[in-house]
Amino acid sequence: MLDIQDLHAGIDNKEILKGLSLSIRPGEMHAVMGRNGSGKSTLSNVITGREGYYISKGDIRYKNTSIIDWPPEKRALEGIFMSFQYPVIMPGVNNTYFLKAALNAKRNHNGKKEFDAASFLKLIKEKLETLDMDTSYLQRAVNEGFSGGEKKRNEILQMLTLEPELAILDETDSGLDIDALKIIADGINKYRSGKRSFLVITHYQRLLKYIEPDFIHVLIDGKFVKSGNKELALELEEKGYSWLES
Amino acid sequence: MSVTNFQSEFNKIMNCDYFSEKVQPIRKKAFTNFLKKGIPNKKWEQWRFTDLSPITNIDFHISDTNDAPNQDIDILKYGMIDIPTIVIYNGHYQEKLSSVPPEIKLLSCLDYMELKNWNVEQPKDSPFDLLNTALMDSGICLIADKNYQTKSAIRILFISSGTQHLISSPRVHIDLKDSSSMTIIEQHTGDSEEYFLNGSLVITLKNNSKLSHIRLQENSNKTINMGNIHVQQEEASHYTFHQFAYGSQLGRLNLHADLNGQGAECFLNGLTLTNNKQHIDNFVITSHNAPHCISSQNFKTVLQDHSTGVFNGRTIVSKDATKTDSSQVNKNLLLSTNALINSNPQLEIHTDDVKCSHGSTTGELDTNALFYIQSRGLDIISAKMLLIQGFASELISKISDKEIKNYLLNQFNSWLENNTKK
Repeated sequence: MLDIQDLHAGIDNKEILKGLSLSIRPGEMHAVMGRNGSGKSTLSNVITGREGYYISKGDIRYKNTSIIDWPPEKRALEGIFMSFQYPVIMPGVNNTYFLKAALNAKRNHNGKKEFDAASFLKLIKEKLETLDMDTSYLQRAVNEGFSGGEKKRNEILQMLTLEPELAILDETDSGLDIDALKIIADGINKYRSGKRSFLVITHYQRLLKYIEPDFIHVLIDGKFVKSGNKELALELEEKGYSWLES
Repeated sequence: MSVTNFQSEFNKIMNCDYFSEKVQPIRKKAFTNFLKKGIPNKKWEQWRFTDLSPITNIDFHISDTNDAPNQDIDILKYGMIDIPTIVIYNGHYQEKLSSVPPEIKLLSCLDYMELKNWNVEQPKDSPFDLLNTALMDSGICLIADKNYQTKSAIRILFISSGTQHLISSPRVHIDLKDSSSMTIIEQHTGDSEEYFLNGSLVITLKNNSKLSHIRLQENSNKTINMGNIHVQQEEASHYTFHQFAYGSQLGRLNLHADLNGQGAECFLNGLTLTNNKQHIDNFVITSHNAPHCISSQNFKTVLQDHSTGVFNGRTIVSKDATKTDSSQVNKNLLLSTNALINSNPQLEIHTDDVKCSHGSTTGELDTNALFYIQSRGLDIISAKMLLIQGFASELISKISDKEIKNYLLNQFNSWLENNTKK
């Protein structure tokens, strides 16, 4: 699904990722853990194609094709999704309108018929129930006046609606109370399947109690210094990161 | 227009025998005062950011009856076809094309002055009011009698047309008697070459009356649109103004609302869209002269290319206007690094015990938001359009009449398609 080979990347002439490799197969969930400034956000930004980042060496391949020259929307249309650490507030842009436009862009891309208002509403109401969200959400502007938890739920709602094959969850657990965390983890778990892959980026192993990754990678100074299974998260919880630093 | 040019046009109108003689001294007084004041220049505080050379560079001529259309005008192309309309073509009232609901009194302005025994105060805030009085066309006046409630909006359609460099000086009086209500659409349109439209609109709102006033400024890109609006509000009267300005090469709104009666409410809104080398200046004053009045100014501008704009808003709270509640917001979106806006929100408060706020923001499209939208599968053009729509939607959604709103949305969306670039 995703193959990253010896990736060197950065921003403003500052190299942040210094030779990172990662391979995710269909159905797998990988977690990347690391401290602030280790390069976690850079990793998610270069996969999704945010402007301003450069890649000086290496490649990112998605379904066996290099995607580093693709604009962000092409990556999205081909099935890559990121749940943002800081979802953007868009005053005056209606949630329903936005989500419907995004879904129809994707359906268009895949040669499917666009949803009309009624069938979209039916679909979205089902997804809202899954995430225990109120229908008043539909009338609101994107993320405007949303609490931290509501914003994160909204990200997961978008994921469930757009049905990506590769979902990057960037600090999805930050700012969530325990109830919201459970609901969101539940939504993610239901979405897991043999065909869908996940890259979970997180500080803490809190979220990993509820969604169990197949692999965990520790990112320090732009490189993976250790990989392992879910037990590694517990070890990190206990010992911190310093024992891995050289 | 040079002084000689103004003088010769003034002489022409003084010699028109179809106007009542009684209007002559009014014109003369205004013209003398106009010459004394002169055309504003950038040294005038209120005109600092607006270059009036498009007015002074060309000799404009007053319209005579030859400039009235000699064939039927197709007004369907100006949209909103179900709304009763008064058509003013190059300053000439088109009776055959016009209709108003029977409950509304429609007079020429000169008849209105006759009705008032020539005891009508002439607007004189700016030199352009004086010029309007000096050169005014026969004009129109709408009166809503006591308790009359409007069922449909009424449109006044100003069509500016032709290549003969006309100056047109429409005068409109709108009087709402006690507890009446009305919705007026003032639409400025047409395909004219260089043209100077200098209109004055005088609105009087008696106790408990309610006027919703929508102004669509969609003149050709060679037109100068000078809009002078005066609102006098009595007790518990309610005035809402919505301007949508996307036309003209040079547009200036001079709006002055006086809240003279207790409990009056005045809400001024404007959405301005500019491109190429357009310049649109909104100069709005709300004067609180009585207690317990509520007002707001909410103006937004979207600027593309080398276009420029001004927001100059002032809220004045006099010493008698206790318990005033006012807000003032100006937000501007620059789509090009060459576009420029001057924003100057001002509060002038002469009493305590008031609630007043003001603020202004100017910025470009948020790159984080653009990336967010792109990451959901929409291309950069769609992302920009979505954000600009979001920026403007607050003002468009305030229009409740479906026909007007649909017309506006169409105009807005076509502007957006033509002005959203990579």
